Amino acid sequence: MSTARVSIKDALYEPPGPKSRKVIGIATAISLAVLAVLVVLIIRQFYITGQLNARYWSFFGRATTWKFLGKGLLGTLEAAALAGIVTFAAGFCMMLGRISKYKAVRGISTALIEFTRGVPTLLFIYFFFLVAPQLGWKLSPLWKIAAPVAISASGVVAEVLRSGVNAVPKGQREAALSLGMRDGTVFFKIVFPQALRYVVPALIAELVIVVKDTTFAYVVNFPDLMQNAKVLISNYDAMLSVYLLVACIYILINYLINKISDLTAGLQNITIGTSRDGRRAGGRYGADRGE
Amino acid sequence: MSVQELLAEYGDKYVLALLTTWKLTALAFSAAFVIGIVVTVMRVSPVKPLRVAGELYVQIFRNIPGAALLIVLVYALPYLNVVLSYFTCVLTATALIPAAFCSEYLMAGMNTIALGQIEAARALGMNFSKMIRLIVIPQALRSSVLPMTNLLVATMLTTALASQVPLNPTDLTGIVAHINTHAVGGVTAFLISAMLYCATAVVIGQIGNLIDRKVRILR
Repeated sequence: MSTARVSIKDALYEPPGPKSRKVIGIATAISLAVLAVLVVLIIRQFYITGQLNARYWSFFGRATTWKFLGKGLLGTLEAAALAGIVTFAAGFCMMLGRISKYKAVRGISTALIEFTRGVPTLLFIYFFFLVAPQLGWKLSPLWKIAAPVAISASGVVAEVLRSGVNAVPKGQREAALSLGMRDGTVFFKIVFPQALRYVVPALIAELVIVVKDTTFAYVVNFPDLMQNAKVLISNYDAMLSVYLLVACIYILINYLINKISDLTAGLQNITIGTSRDGRRAGGRYGADRGE
Repeated sequence: MSVQELLAEYGDKYVLALLTTWKLTALAFSAAFVIGIVVTVMRVSPVKPLRVAGELYVQIFRNIPGAALLIVLVYALPYLNVVLSYFTCVLTATALIPAAFCSEYLMAGMNTIALGQIEAARALGMNFSKMIRLIVIPQALRSSVLPMTNLLVATMLTTALASQVPLNPTDLTGIVAHINTHAVGGVTAFLISAMLYCATAVVIGQIGNLIDRKVRILR
C-alpha cells in the first residue's frame, strides 16, 4: 500500500500559491459538479426504471432476510476457512519441496507451483465438479468448492512463504548449525518461525483471494452468500437490489481483510514482498502485496 | 477419451477457445492499463474530489469478486435498461478489476521514485502535468514491468469468467465444461486447457522478465 510513509503523492506539490489555489479551486468545483451529475444520472436511471420502488428494498427491513443472508455468509466463511487451512498446508508442503536439497523434489514442487498459479480457479472448480465424479471421487459440495479454491491459492502461498524464508538472515541458520542443531531443527525452530512473522500480512491478504474465489460456490451448489442471494431474488423478484447489496457485502469483507493485513504490516514495521528476489511474484492479484 | 480422440473431435474448438482467451486477455488488459493510468493520475492529482473518486474506484474493484461483478453486469444491469452483450459484460468485468490493481502497482512504482527528482523538476519550473508526464509516469512504468506481467497473467486467469455466460466461441475454461457435459472428456480435456493456460502464463512471464531486464532502473 502506498498510503503509509511520506509518499510521492504528497511530495508532488508544495503548498500552492494564490494562482494555483485558484486553479485547484476551479478544478475541484468542476470535478465535483461532474461527479454529482454522474450520481444524479445513476439515481435517475434507477428512478426511471422503477428500481427505487419500495417493494425492491423494503424486505431488507425484515429480520428474516438478514438471517437468511447471514446463513449464506456463514457458508461463505466456512468454505473460505476450510480452503484457507488447506491452502496453508498445501502451500507449506510445496514451499518445503521448493527449497529441498534434492533436485528432483525441487523440480516437481516448482512445476506444481507454476501449474497452480497458471490455471484459473474456475477450471479447477470444473475439474472437481465435472471430472472428479467421472473418476469416482465422492465429495461433498463444501469440498468441491474448498478444494479447487485452495489448490489455486496454494502456489502463491508457497511462494510467499519462500520469500519469508529467504528473508531470514543467513547468520541465523549458520549460528544454529554451529550450535549443533540438525537441519530439520534449524528450519522448524529457527528459520520458519521468523519467516512466518515476516509474511503474516501477505498471508492475510491472500485470504481476500480465497474469499473472492468462493463466490463460484454456486457452480457446485454449495449454499454460500451468492447462492442464498439467488433464493432471495426468486422470493422477492428483486434482482438488482439483492445483487448490489451482496456485492457490497463482499467488498466490505475483503476491505476489512485488507485493512487487517495492513494493520499487521504496520505492527511489524517490516514487510517483505515476493518480488524481492527479482523473480516474478504470484500469478494472482494481490500476491505481491506487502512490498 | 484419449488425447488423440479428443483432439480429433474437439481440436479446432480448442484452437478457437485459446484464441478467445487470448483475445479477451489482450483487450481486457489494454483497457485495464488505460483505466489504471487514469485512476492513478486522479489519485495523485491535487483535486480532492478526483482523489476520493480514484480511491473509491480502487477499493471497490480490488475487493469485488469477479463472479459478483459479472452477475451484476449480466443480470442486474438490464433492470436499469442497460443491456450489454455477453462478450461486453465479460470484457467489462475483466477490465475493471485488473484496472484497480494496475493503479495499485503504479502507485507502488511511483513510490520508488526519489523525492529529490520531484524537487529538481519543480526547481526547473515544471508544473504538475509536466512532472507527471515526463518524470513520474515513465519511471513508474519502468519499475512496474514485473507487477504488470503478473497483472497480465492475472487478467488471463480472470477471463475464465467467460465460461459463466453462453459465449460462442467459448473460452478455454468454458470448453472443458462443454466437453464434459456432452461427453466424458475426463482428466485429459481438463489437462489440455490447463496446459494451454500454463504455457501462455510461462511465455508472458519470460517476455516480462526480458523487458524488465532491459528497462529496469537500477537503484
